[in-house]
Amino acid sequence: MNIRTFVCMTVVLILLLSVGCEGRQDPETEINPAEMSWEEILEEAQGTEVRFYGWGGDQAINDWMNGFVADRIAEKYDIIFEWVPMNIDEILNKLQGEKQADARGTADMVWINGENFYTAKTNDLLYGPFTESLPNFHGYIDPEDVEVKYDFGFPTEGFEAPFGKAQLVMIYDEERTPNPPVNHVELLEYAKQHPGELTFPAPPDFTGSAFIRNLIYDIVGYEQFIGMEADEDTVREAIAPGIEYFKELKPYLWREGETYPATIAQQENLFADGEVRMVMAYNSNLVAQRISSGMFPETSTSVIFEGGTIGNGHFIAIPFNSPNKAGALVAINDILSVETQASKYDPENWGDLPVLENSKLSEEERRIFDEVELGQGVLPQEVLLENRLPEVPAPLVPVIERIWMENIVE
Amino acid sequence: MEKGKKLQIKPYLYLLPVMSFLLFIFFFGLGTSILQSLGYNSDGGFQSVTMAHYRDVFRSSAFVSGLLFSLRTSLISTGIAVVFGVGLAYLMMRQKKEWRLFRALLTLPVIVPHLVAAFIIFTIFSQSGMIARVGVLMGMIEHPREFPALIFDRQGVGVVLAYVWKGAPFVFLILYQVLRSIHGDMVEAARNLGAGGKDLLLQIYLPLSLPSIFSTFILLFAFSFGSYEIPFLLGPTAPRALPVLAYVEHIQPDWSNRPYAMAMNMVLAGISVLLVWIYHRVFKLFRRHHWEERSQ
Repeated sequence: MNIRTFVCMTVVLILLLSVGCEGRQDPETEINPAEMSWEEILEEAQGTEVRFYGWGGDQAINDWMNGFVADRIAEKYDIIFEWVPMNIDEILNKLQGEKQADARGTADMVWINGENFYTAKTNDLLYGPFTESLPNFHGYIDPEDVEVKYDFGFPTEGFEAPFGKAQLVMIYDEERTPNPPVNHVELLEYAKQHPGELTFPAPPDFTGSAFIRNLIYDIVGYEQFIGMEADEDTVREAIAPGIEYFKELKPYLWREGETYPATIAQQENLFADGEVRMVMAYNSNLVAQRISSGMFPETSTSVIFEGGTIGNGHFIAIPFNSPNKAGALVAINDILSVETQASKYDPENWGDLPVLENSKLSEEERRIFDEVELGQGVLPQEVLLENRLPEVPAPLVPVIERIWMENIVE
Repeated sequence: MEKGKKLQIKPYLYLLPVMSFLLFIFFFGLGTSILQSLGYNSDGGFQSVTMAHYRDVFRSSAFVSGLLFSLRTSLISTGIAVVFGVGLAYLMMRQKKEWRLFRALLTLPVIVPHLVAAFIIFTIFSQSGMIARVGVLMGMIEHPREFPALIFDRQGVGVVLAYVWKGAPFVFLILYQVLRSIHGDMVEAARNLGAGGKDLLLQIYLPLSLPSIFSTFILLFAFSFGSYEIPFLLGPTAPRALPVLAYVEHIQPDWSNRPYAMAMNMVLAGISVLLVWIYHRVFKLFRRHHWEERSQ
């Protein structure tokens, strides 16, 4: 081999590496959407690409994003919309890394909420405030609504726009469980009657963690947690009766409470296999989807606690280094439209609760939502919204999780 | 040995572009992890270097029980995988027939990703899994729950099963080729000198394949010690294997937890390096001892 071959090889190698760094068609990055009119923003966004990064663990959601949402945005605004599934912790890591390295970004929109929003905002990873620029935000959202102003107790300050709402529900098979427990006392009774047939996913699984918090709410109430400091001793004292309850419940759980499923997907498998009698879900419409896909038995139904279950909102934010902020604004605005929210609410697509303020809808628009068929085993919107409890402040979540782990499992 | 040969730098030159690229990525990642574990603030401000996070790691009871769990499951699963793999390879090598299809099927698990392997083991061995249901059908047990808890148990049986399922075919793949390459003249010569089956095995096959056996062992061990998907999906909630612990700490949205997670990662890496080093010394010792014995 001679020096010429060597040089050629090196050149080829460098070429191959730089192909991966190809940029994409972006509009001017120096625009300031805050100073532009909506017409100008629409014009700026036309013909561009927008990328929405978010959790891709539910194929139904992925399909809806790649289908309805992408098609509609392409048709209405001539924007190429791309849904990029990625776990939020990876997204935040990516943004953080890009911030440190002062690198170009690739994400225009991020699906985010709770502790992750808290981390992103306090680390200056988001662009904003921007919600006031969106026509649909003015038209359909109540900016004073506590679920719009606060995310897990932390002020949003216009840095994230509401996307959807979720509420924790418990799912039982009506045939095996004709009288599902509706509070923690009945749950303990039920566990004693059927030892080894109840469980929940262990933290850090999001749904399992919410179930634990909901039981704690049922035992000690929720008001005291609003605005509570994330001080370990304060939290420990506040949830002490809850921990006692879990200790009492432990021996009657699946595997005697010595171990728990690692993910909500595994819990769903256990429920589908009949190994446990209950599964929980943040998506109140999940049961309908799973019944129609054949995974859950036909007689599955969802219930909530009579004391209420935890509800939260999830949001869309714009990263600080989004290469197409105008496009992001247009896309987010469209997601706040009646048609898209109704499509999202349809269990055939996703079944996620809409965020639009009922009083701001016209008769016709309200009818669009009423016409959505809810599907089997699903609780109606009114029942859910009347029995809705707020989340604890975001920093408390890991503290509660750790206290539970230490006392119950380790 | 002739010491007059000039050191060939040409091969290194040719490798330089790719190597520098790979090494840069490796050392950059390693460096960042070390810095973060010492308390380096990712925002850019270098806060005081502290070993406090390492201290926290070693003090945590979850860490100690996790370390024992990881060591135990990795050692046991790798040991079983090597024994199975070598045994199978030896038996297969002795065959007159080629058994090509069978061999191909045996090595299938090698290309199955670990996540899928976890799912397969879960589907077959869980209490509502295939074997449990067959047991009920055949009347061996009354109810699927009587089937022993092999998944999510504190001993990590499911974890071991998954690693053996992935590891044994890998060992088989490598050792079969090695054993096959020994077959032939040396065996003929030994037979001529009166060696029986047992002598062949102990004096020829085993010693010559020992390096491969050792290297597949350390490969499988190091990998299973550091991988997190299988213990995450099949292991108990506590004790959590070390990589799972590190992962859980790392995805905490509270970034002030990051140095602790990084310290745990560094300890994990350090232990792996230490184990490989111990292994290397033991192997060297063994070889020297073995050859000395033989030459007497």
